[in-house]
Amino acid sequence: MCGIIGYVGSGDETADILMSGLFNLEYRGYDSAGIALIEPSLTMYKKAGEVTELERSLPSDTVRGAVGIGHTRWSTHGAPSDANAHPHTDCNGDVAVVHNGIIENYQELRAELADSGHEFESETDTEVVPHLIESFLETGANPEHAFRLAIDRIDGSYAIAAVFEDTEAVYAVRKHSPLVLGLGEDGNYLASDVPAFIAHTDRVIYLEDGEFVRLTEDEVVVTNTTGDVLEKTVDTIDWDPQDAGKSGYGHYMLKEINEQPQAIRQCLQGRTSEHQQSVLLEELADLDHDGLVQLVACGTSYHAAMYGEQLLQERGMQAQSFFASEYDADRIAVDNETLVIGVTQSGETADTLSALREANRAGAATLAVTNVVGSSAARECEYVVYIRAGPEISVAATKSFVSQQITLALIASTLADVSLPRFLRALQRLPDHIQRVLDRTTTPAVASEIADSEAYFFIGRGTHVPVALEGALKMKEITYKHAEGFPSGELKHGPLALLTPNTPVIALVTNGGETATKTIGNVNEVAARDAPVIAVTDARESVEGVSDTVLEVPRTHPWLAPVLANVQLQLLSYWVATRLGRPIDKPRHLAKTVTVE
Amino acid sequence: MLPVLSKTILEHVFNALIESGVTEIIVVVGYKRNRIQSHFGSSHRNVPLTYVVQERQLGTGHALLKTRSHIDETCVVINGDQIVGTELIDDVVETHQTTDAVATLGLLNRTEIGEYGGVLLEDNSVSEIIEGPQDDRNYRLNTGVYALEPSVVDTIEATPPSNGEHLLTDAFRKLVEDGEPVRGVVSDGLWVDVAYPWDLLDATERLIDDIDWTHDGKSAVNSSAILHETAVISPSAIIEANCEIEPGAVIGPNVSLGQNVTVGTNAVVERSVVDTDARIGQNATLVDCIVGQGARIGAGTVAPGGPSSVQIRNRVYEDVQLGALLADRVYDGGGSTYVPGTVVGADATIHSGATISGTIGAEAEVYP
Repeated sequence: MCGIIGYVGSGDETADILMSGLFNLEYRGYDSAGIALIEPSLTMYKKAGEVTELERSLPSDTVRGAVGIGHTRWSTHGAPSDANAHPHTDCNGDVAVVHNGIIENYQELRAELADSGHEFESETDTEVVPHLIESFLETGANPEHAFRLAIDRIDGSYAIAAVFEDTEAVYAVRKHSPLVLGLGEDGNYLASDVPAFIAHTDRVIYLEDGEFVRLTEDEVVVTNTTGDVLEKTVDTIDWDPQDAGKSGYGHYMLKEINEQPQAIRQCLQGRTSEHQQSVLLEELADLDHDGLVQLVACGTSYHAAMYGEQLLQERGMQAQSFFASEYDADRIAVDNETLVIGVTQSGETADTLSALREANRAGAATLAVTNVVGSSAARECEYVVYIRAGPEISVAATKSFVSQQITLALIASTLADVSLPRFLRALQRLPDHIQRVLDRTTTPAVASEIADSEAYFFIGRGTHVPVALEGALKMKEITYKHAEGFPSGELKHGPLALLTPNTPVIALVTNGGETATKTIGNVNEVAARDAPVIAVTDARESVEGVSDTVLEVPRTHPWLAPVLANVQLQLLSYWVATRLGRPIDKPRHLAKTVTVE
Repeated sequence: MLPVLSKTILEHVFNALIESGVTEIIVVVGYKRNRIQSHFGSSHRNVPLTYVVQERQLGTGHALLKTRSHIDETCVVINGDQIVGTELIDDVVETHQTTDAVATLGLLNRTEIGEYGGVLLEDNSVSEIIEGPQDDRNYRLNTGVYALEPSVVDTIEATPPSNGEHLLTDAFRKLVEDGEPVRGVVSDGLWVDVAYPWDLLDATERLIDDIDWTHDGKSAVNSSAILHETAVISPSAIIEANCEIEPGAVIGPNVSLGQNVTVGTNAVVERSVVDTDARIGQNATLVDCIVGQGARIGAGTVAPGGPSSVQIRNRVYEDVQLGALLADRVYDGGGSTYVPGTVVGADATIHSGATISGTIGAEAEVYP
C-alpha cells in the first residue's frame, strides 16, 4: 500500500507538482516519502515520516528537473526509514524506481543480483527492480527495453514507475495495483489515484493490468506486454477537486460524518419510488438471481457486508458474508449458481479483489459495491453498483459505511423482488433522521466523561451486531484504546470477566420487542458488575434505571435503526479521540486503501 | 433564521459573486454552521469557500475582523440573508476600482428607507450615514454590499464599539470624519432583503422571474426527480434532485421543493418553499407556506394562505402574505387546518384534526 506519482513537463514546477501530488495521496500511506528528478542527471530526496518531513528536508531552491517520480509509503517490507523510503536506485544512481504492491520473488532475485555484484541499500522488495534494470542496461538494452525485460522477471502485484538519467520520460506498468494517467496541457501525469493530479487535469486514462506506458511531455503511449500500441479511451473526471478539502471542519472524519445525510440522498437518487413501491437499480436490470449470495469484504466494509447478509436473509434469501482474506474458493461451496458481492470503498482493496477473482474463476457471478468509478473492482466484476458517497479522505470510514449499508439494502430488495412500503417510506426519511442525530447528539459531553477509560465494549443483537463491531473498530482505529464488539448474548460467555467500573459498555437497544428486552437483560448483567452503561436507544424510558447515560436516535424501521445508532457511535469515537488529542484523520499504522494481501 | 432560508439565499449570493468574477469566498458562519458547511462543502461552482467561525454575533464589523488573516486585497462584503443580483455587485466593484475609494457602498433609490441605513451622497462621496432616518433629506438605501480595501479592517478595530457591537457603518463614519474617500454608487440591480421568513416567499417569486434557472445545464426540474404523468407542474416551479411527485399532485407557480421531498397524491402546493426531506401527504393543500427540513404534513391538511397578521416575539406584523411557517421536523398528523399567519416551532407535533393559529413553540404538542 503506497501512493505513486510521476510527471513529465518542461519547466521548474515538477518538484512542486510531485509534492502536492504526494500530499493528496497521503491517505494511501504516510510513513515515508521521496521524489527523484531528472535534470538531466538524477537527483533524489527521501525521508522517513509524513510528506511534510520530506518537504522540510528539501533544499529550498535547488530542486530542479522537468521529469520526476514520487512515492508516499506504507511499509510492507522493512521498517519506515530513510533508506527504505522510495525511490530506489541501481548501483550507479542512474535509474530510480517507485513501486506500489509486493514483489513475491524478490528474495531469489536479490540473491541472484547480489551474486553478480549488485549492492543493496534497503530491506525492500522494490530495490531489486532498479538493479534488474541496470543489469539489462549493461547488456546494451535501451531504457524502455531494459524496463520491460526487468518487469518480465518479477512476480507479484505492482504499479511501478521508473526514470533514467539523461532520459526525458517516465516508464510505468501495472499489475493488480492501481495506476491512472492524466493528460495535461503542459505535461502528462501518472498516479495511483486521481486526486494526485486533479488540480492540473481532469482528463484521465485508466491503465489495465499488464499495460505499459511511456510518458513524455507531449505524449502518452500505452502498450501491451508484447509492445503493440493500444488505443485507450480518455475519461473525464467530473468531481470537484475542492471536494477533497475539509469545508471548515477540524478533521475530514467530522466533515464526512456530517455529510452522511447528503450521501444517503445521493445514494437513493432515482433508485426508489414510494408510489410504485419499487426499488429500481438499473445496474442490475439483467441480473435474475435467486440462489446463494456470498459477500466478501474487509474492515468496515465487512461490517456493511454482515448487515447486507442479514437483510438478504430477512428477505428470504440464502446469504453468507466472509472476510475477504479468508475466502477460499477451494474450500467454500461456490459455483455458477452463486452470486458473490465484493464490498470495497476504494475498489482497490487487494484482499477483496483477490476473493472476487477466485469467485470469478469458480464460475460465480460477481458484483462490486464500491465508491470509486472505474476502480479495479468495478472493472473486473460482471456487475457494479456505486454507493455514491463522494470522495472519502479520512482513514476511518464513516459515510462510505452508511452508503454501503443502504446500497446493500437496495440490492437485497432488488434481488428478493419484494415490495416493502414501510421500508421505502423509512428510507426517504433516513437523511433527515441522520440530520437529527447530528443536530442533537450529546456525544461531546459523554466523550469527556469516558475518555479516560481502560476499554470500551459495544453490544447489540440482530441487525445491531454489525454496528456493535463497527463501533468498536472505529473506537480502536482513532483512539488507540482497546475496544471490542459482541453480540449481547455472548457477553456472559466470557467477556463479562473483563468488565470493571472503568470499562464502559455501549449497548444498542432499539425497536422495542423481544430483542430489546433481551439486550436490556444483558445490560443489567453489565450494570451489576458496576461497569458504566451508555445506551443508544429510540425509547429513553425503556432503559431507565439500567443505563447511566443515553444517546437518543429517532424511531424508524427496525432495519434502519442500526444505521442511526451507528452515527452516534461514530461521533462518540470522534469525540473521545479528540479529547485524547489523537491525529484523527491519520491514525498510526493505518492507511486508507489497503492494496496488499 | 431557518436553515431553509440561509441555504437557498446563500446559494444565490454565491452565484452572483461568482458571476461578478469573485475568485475566493470567505464565509463567516455562526448559527447552524454545520448545515451550511455540509451543504456547500469546500467550494461552490469551483470557487473555493473558506469558513470562518464567529461564535458570538457582535456586529458586521466584528464578523469582518474575524476574516482578517484571509484578507490581503480588495474584497467585496455582502450579507448572507439578502438576495443580490450580479448587477449591483458589478456596480460597486466598478466604482471602487475606477475611483480612489477605500470603501464603496452599494445604494438604491427607494422612497421608503424604513429601518435600513440611509446614506447621503455629495457627488459620489458619502457624507452621512443615518440608521432609520426620520427627516426628508435625499437618502439612498444602504444595501450592505460593499467593496473595501484591506486597510478598512484596521479602521474597524480602531473604532470603538457601540452597544458592544462593532458595526461596519461606524467604521465608515470614522473614515468619512478622517477625510478618507468613501464612495457610494446608486444601482438599479436586484436586491431583496429576507429579514423575515415570509420575505422568502416574495424573494422566491422575484428570483424565479429574474434568474435564469437553466444555467450550467440545470433545468428547473432535476432529472432524477420522479414525476407521475398525471401530476401538474407549473413552469415556474423549481424541483430539486430525488423529489417524488405522486399522481394528480399540483405543484403550482412560485414553488421551490428541496432535495428528496415527497408530494402525495392529489396534494396542491402553491407559492411555497419546501425544504429538503420534507413530506406532503395526500390531498394536503399548502398555499403561501414555508415548510422546514424533514417536516411531515399529514393527509388532508389545509393551509389556505392569504393575508394575515403574524406575531414574532413581541411584535405584530400586519398584512403579511403567509399561509403557515412550519419549522424543521414539524410533525402534522393530517386533517389539520392552519389559519393564515400561523408559525409552528421546530419538532412540534400537531395531532390530527386540529385547527391551529398564532405561534406554537418548539417541541410543543397540539391536540384538537
